[in-house]
Amino acid sequence: MTATVIRPTQSTARSAKASHKMPFLVQVWMMSRRSLVTMFRDPAAIIPGLILGVFFLVIYEASLGGAAQFFLRGQSYLGFILPLSVISTALSGAGIAGQAVIRDIDSGYFDKLLLTPISRAALLLAPMIAAALVLVMQSSAVVLVGILLGLEPATGWLGVLTLLGYALLIGVALAGLIVGIALRTNSASATSGASFLFFPLTFLTATFTPKELLTGWLKVAAQWNPITYILEACRSLLNIGWEPQVLFTGLWVSLGVCVVTFAFASLSLRARTQRR
Amino acid sequence: MQNREIVVDNLVKRYGDFTAVNGVSFRVESGEVYGFLGPNGAGKSTTVSMLTTLSLPTSGHATVGGYDVRSHAYDVRRVAGVALQEIGLDPLMKSLELLSLQGRVFGMNYKDSMRRAHELLELVNLTEFTARPVGKYSGGMRRRLDLALALVHQPDVLFLDEPTTGLDPASRRDIWKEVARLNSELGITIFLTTQYLEEADQLANRIAIINQGVIAVEGKPAELKANMGGDAINLAFEDVSLVDKAISEVQDMVTRTQIDRDTLRLYLPNAAAAVPAVVTRLQAAHIQPISLTLTQPTLDDVFLQVTGQRFATEEKEEKVA
Repeated sequence: MTATVIRPTQSTARSAKASHKMPFLVQVWMMSRRSLVTMFRDPAAIIPGLILGVFFLVIYEASLGGAAQFFLRGQSYLGFILPLSVISTALSGAGIAGQAVIRDIDSGYFDKLLLTPISRAALLLAPMIAAALVLVMQSSAVVLVGILLGLEPATGWLGVLTLLGYALLIGVALAGLIVGIALRTNSASATSGASFLFFPLTFLTATFTPKELLTGWLKVAAQWNPITYILEACRSLLNIGWEPQVLFTGLWVSLGVCVVTFAFASLSLRARTQRR
Repeated sequence: MQNREIVVDNLVKRYGDFTAVNGVSFRVESGEVYGFLGPNGAGKSTTVSMLTTLSLPTSGHATVGGYDVRSHAYDVRRVAGVALQEIGLDPLMKSLELLSLQGRVFGMNYKDSMRRAHELLELVNLTEFTARPVGKYSGGMRRRLDLALALVHQPDVLFLDEPTTGLDPASRRDIWKEVARLNSELGITIFLTTQYLEEADQLANRIAIINQGVIAVEGKPAELKANMGGDAINLAFEDVSLVDKAISEVQDMVTRTQIDRDTLRLYLPNAAAAVPAVVTRLQAAHIQPISLTLTQPTLDDVFLQVTGQRFATEEKEEKVA
């Protein structure tokens, strides 16, 4: 540091004081962009999710594709199982959001941001949205591999885009959960542990067969598991066509889960402020 | 003139059974540098985190720039600049990105935020290092960038929580210079916590010594030291026998004397002014001291008096015990 005096220019000074509040969406956009940019500077966190998604797709297709013919009645098993790969990928994507929050807490940058007038909601939404966007990229890759393996989406390219929209919502929803856990535990290991705990959720659903073929407790679990309805919407897109009822159910369920997990993340942040 | 005061009334922070801050009250005037001095774990950082809205007080009230930290947290964040003890920088980002985003968050448009970022980089001498991720910065560079971030929005009140801890002496003096400049030129109120007596002495108009969550004493550094009793003149002699001779010559001028081998310490109300008289007396008696120094009571002495323990040597004593 020098003793050189640098006076802030008049215009800078005025604008610093005069413009008070940024529109909420601008705040969300700025912070999400920052989260996304820093996530890509640490690509080690992104690549495993991508590999996992493609791996699930190829393995499930190879091992179960033949056996599934009796209930698929000529539909493609690829189209049936691809949404599951996307959701499995979403779990690792959500983990990225959690890790990003932990990284900010560890570096102290999270506190730095809390000390600014930025909206707390924007602060929470940023890693959720960034992770969801990463998930959309990963899902696109999974879809691409699916198409290379012979997948022919029943609803065409528009259907694929819709599927990616669902992936975005799933990503936001799961990321909210993980971000909340990160804020509550302040621990990297607890946060990644939690993302693995949610893995069973992808099996307590119509994982390998349609919901109608499930029986007993698993059927009940699948009926209560929001993932079931999102899976059905995506499968319908790839294998059947535009089924408004299935698609809207999937949409409402995923939006509902987003709201719930965002509320959880908000409460976790509030609890954190109260605790310290 | 804006309100740039900090008013704290009976602030308490408890964690379960442990009371970190136990009924602290003080008032920092607009444009003042207020030093909050205390050993590790005294409650300094807890006080800062309540005043900056990072944590909620268990009880009590506080306003920053006229805004209540509880009910008007948003406004407090708008007018306060904060550099915490733990530096808060994302290691994956670069200095311009951090500064510009900070400006945007405080409501600047992109152009202004970039201009401000460049200004501040120049101010903290980091202009050459814009290409390097912050994670590769040295401790001193990070500390300077962190301070720059706290200044982006031209705060009315600046909180500096141990801003020089872990810095080398040169960087420490740079920070001091900068803090003094911010205060004198921009009139920013500065709340400074520190473990260093010298730092509080140099920078603060007034200081409070906090110990175990309670303010033990508050006042201007000079006053606090003056209350300790007079200054002292230290005379060193070549020959120990001269010490006794010297005492008899100046006995009537001083309030107290103390002998430490060949050094004679004379306590008297206004030591600096009394130096010529003392020297004249000794010369008249043909007594030549080999050195003459003036010592004043230090904040360390003040700390010892109010808390019953030495400030700087606390750690060593613990080890011995």
